[in-house]
Amino acid sequence: MSAFGPELAPGSRTGAATMRSAAVKGRSLWDDARRRLFRNRAALVSVIVLGLLVVAAIVGPYLTPYPYDQVNKNDVWVGPLSGDHLIGTDSLGRDLLARLLIGLRVSLAVGVVATFVSLVIGVAWGAVAGYVGGRLDELMMRIVDILYSLPFIFFVILLMVTFGRNFILMFVAIGAVEWLTMARIVRGQTLSLKQKEFVEAARAAGVKPAGIVARHIVPNLLGPVVVYVTLTIPAVILAESFLSFLGLGVQEPLTSLGTLISKGAQDMELAPWLLIFPSIVMVVTLMCFNFIGDGLRDAIDPKDR
Amino acid sequence: MKTSRLPLIAMLAACAPLLAACGGGGEQKALRPPCPAGRLCLEYGNSGEPTTLDPQKANASWEFGIVSDFMVGLTDNDAAAKTIPGMATHWEQSPDGLVWTFHLRDGQWSDGTPVTAADFVFGLQRLFDPKTASGQAAQFYAIKNSRAVNGGKLPLSALGVTAPDAHTVRIELEHPWPILADNAAAPPMSPSPRHVVAKWGDAWSQPAHFVGNGPYLPKSWTLGDKVVVEKNPRYFDAAKVCLDRISFYPTTDAVSAERRVKRGELDLNTVVQSNRVNFLRRPDQMPGYVRVYPYVGAVFLTFNLKSVPALRDVRVRQALSMAIDRDFIVNKLFRGGQKPAYSFLPPGMLDYDGRARTYWATWPLERRQAEARRLLAAAGYGPKHPLKLEIRHRNTADPTLYTPAVQADWRSIGVKAQLLSTEVQIAYQSYEAGDFEVADAGWGGGSDAMGFLFLQRSDTGSQNYGGYKNLRYDALLDAADHERDLKRRMAYLGQAEQIVLDDAPIAPVYTIASKNLVNPNVTGWVDNNFDTHKLRFLCFRDAAQRRAGRG
Repeated sequence: MSAFGPELAPGSRTGAATMRSAAVKGRSLWDDARRRLFRNRAALVSVIVLGLLVVAAIVGPYLTPYPYDQVNKNDVWVGPLSGDHLIGTDSLGRDLLARLLIGLRVSLAVGVVATFVSLVIGVAWGAVAGYVGGRLDELMMRIVDILYSLPFIFFVILLMVTFGRNFILMFVAIGAVEWLTMARIVRGQTLSLKQKEFVEAARAAGVKPAGIVARHIVPNLLGPVVVYVTLTIPAVILAESFLSFLGLGVQEPLTSLGTLISKGAQDMELAPWLLIFPSIVMVVTLMCFNFIGDGLRDAIDPKDR
Repeated sequence: MKTSRLPLIAMLAACAPLLAACGGGGEQKALRPPCPAGRLCLEYGNSGEPTTLDPQKANASWEFGIVSDFMVGLTDNDAAAKTIPGMATHWEQSPDGLVWTFHLRDGQWSDGTPVTAADFVFGLQRLFDPKTASGQAAQFYAIKNSRAVNGGKLPLSALGVTAPDAHTVRIELEHPWPILADNAAAPPMSPSPRHVVAKWGDAWSQPAHFVGNGPYLPKSWTLGDKVVVEKNPRYFDAAKVCLDRISFYPTTDAVSAERRVKRGELDLNTVVQSNRVNFLRRPDQMPGYVRVYPYVGAVFLTFNLKSVPALRDVRVRQALSMAIDRDFIVNKLFRGGQKPAYSFLPPGMLDYDGRARTYWATWPLERRQAEARRLLAAAGYGPKHPLKLEIRHRNTADPTLYTPAVQADWRSIGVKAQLLSTEVQIAYQSYEAGDFEVADAGWGGGSDAMGFLFLQRSDTGSQNYGGYKNLRYDALLDAADHERDLKRRMAYLGQAEQIVLDDAPIAPVYTIASKNLVNPNVTGWVDNNFDTHKLRFLCFRDAAQRRAGRG
């Protein structure tokens, strides 16, 4: 695995270009990865299910007969399939389906946005620290260590106190904590990547460090990063549930999967549907992300199988 | 991964009851902390985390639940919360009702020093000392010069409480106050051990230093976990005290506490989520445990007049108040023994006729909503310029249930309200600091109308959360204080209540019912209007067996 090592990126001009011209109709490593991913049934099903959930979360709330925050005073604790509430109502007579869809939307949005925040900060930080090395690396990674030692909840409360309570802030708060692990992974990868021949070649050709990081290091990092992202999203969704449970996350009448479950667990003997349906959606969502993450890891880095 | 660990625990916690439910009939073994052989230990679910164990500083019902047995005041309560002699064996008042003399029995502090009248004088001086900043002080302003002492205008020595000799406490009053003997049983009026406070300062009330004269003393306090109290062998009636150790747990999550009671992990819990009362009374649940009883307490929303300009307009306040559908909250949402409130004071006040009502009390909801919209429009709020508010509420069971209903009611009149859930002890601290727009608060205890009405006096201080000020109202309360004739006193108080309802610095929501979950095996828990339950009467039906070592 010398010339065909996984470090060859689709866009890298050093080695891949020559390889492409050699084969008339070549397959890039990404094509291989995609084929491997789609051969993994669990991952394929997960991609489809997750796609459906995302569509439901985006479109669904506009299609339900009741808004998620409408209190229906005559329909308190209606069970599933009775009346026009498909999966029942809660103690305030609010339609559970509408709340479930809006909760899914909030949870997915928090998951994706916070993960994106962590991705941007983490990759930039880790790549720079790893590539530049030396004193700067030491300094940057010690900052990461210090932030690591800060208790998560304490950090969130500090943010809330400083900037006031804000829905957006929660995305930032979670993302700003999640990037630490990302930065470490990226730095480690960068350290090994920068020893590779193609980086040396680029350096010899006079490419500036910023160009090397952007063109050669980061694209080759994508494998482990993508895998880690799929694992971060569920972690973030769980973190959001936890914050909301403490009253630091979303506030009534807005809801999230975690909030719905914690409320549902309280009333489970009286209104089991309030626990069952959100739990199913939460479990399915998290499993989809995990299967996709597993599938991606196997597909992108077959050595690890 | 430090970030994912905590949520994972939260998830597991959320799933745990599910797993337990799926586990079939297999009873889980109760997780009671070990109890020394031959001793009796009770596990007490106490709804909140205390902020202090100092009897003069305690202010919340769950703090009183713990501290009220650390000290015996001049008088005491029996199991049904009736006033009985405490450290004073007997007492008399002067013919004009302005001077009370209490005669003390011999008693010891838990360190062996005798309890003297001077300790009572010192306790009351601490209560009114501005440095103590007690939230309860204003309820005892009937004591001579106490208001001035509490305001820092007179020295502590000017307080109308003296000790002519070691066994006599003399209390002078500003005005006749027939309920002094009843109030003397409350923790704020308890004695303080001078020698201990002198030695440790504010730290005296920590379990390591605490010295008391009551049946129980604090042994340890683990923040967020439990407060453990143990029997005081030097209490004068110690032979009759049954339990050796009581542990208080801050059970803010009423539903999980309910499951702990069911499993036998807790012997009782002082809060039940309202909408579960009927469910728990089912024969297959825990019917013998549920204790619902009327309580002289009210839940109301307070409007912050100090920092929210929109709420300074009485039309806005009335509109917000009348738009709340109290029947829905009480009869559909709670179904737990509460009553809708259209007056500030709950029913059942001593000698009080309680005829004051909001002027729209009998209107149907549609008419109230229409009127509310009209009032808001008149005040300059409408679809283009909606009123926006934040309701800060306690994170305990019932407030979490009813505030979204209020939010929906307000939305139907075009008011955009946000909810902010706050841990209960932090919530009250925020209210006292004026850090809220609309606050959900409860007030209870005491059968005298003044015990509620004083809350809205302009000079009450932090307990007047919203900073309401109406000099006519203050004057009526003053007039009531100085009125000897009971009927006329009550008439003044009635007028004062009507002013509060017309000015609407608060929106009454419902009157409370006390809801306790008590294992039928626990004896000595007597339901009463004040939800006061002295610990020394509690015992177990199978106490002999437990002592013999089975439990």
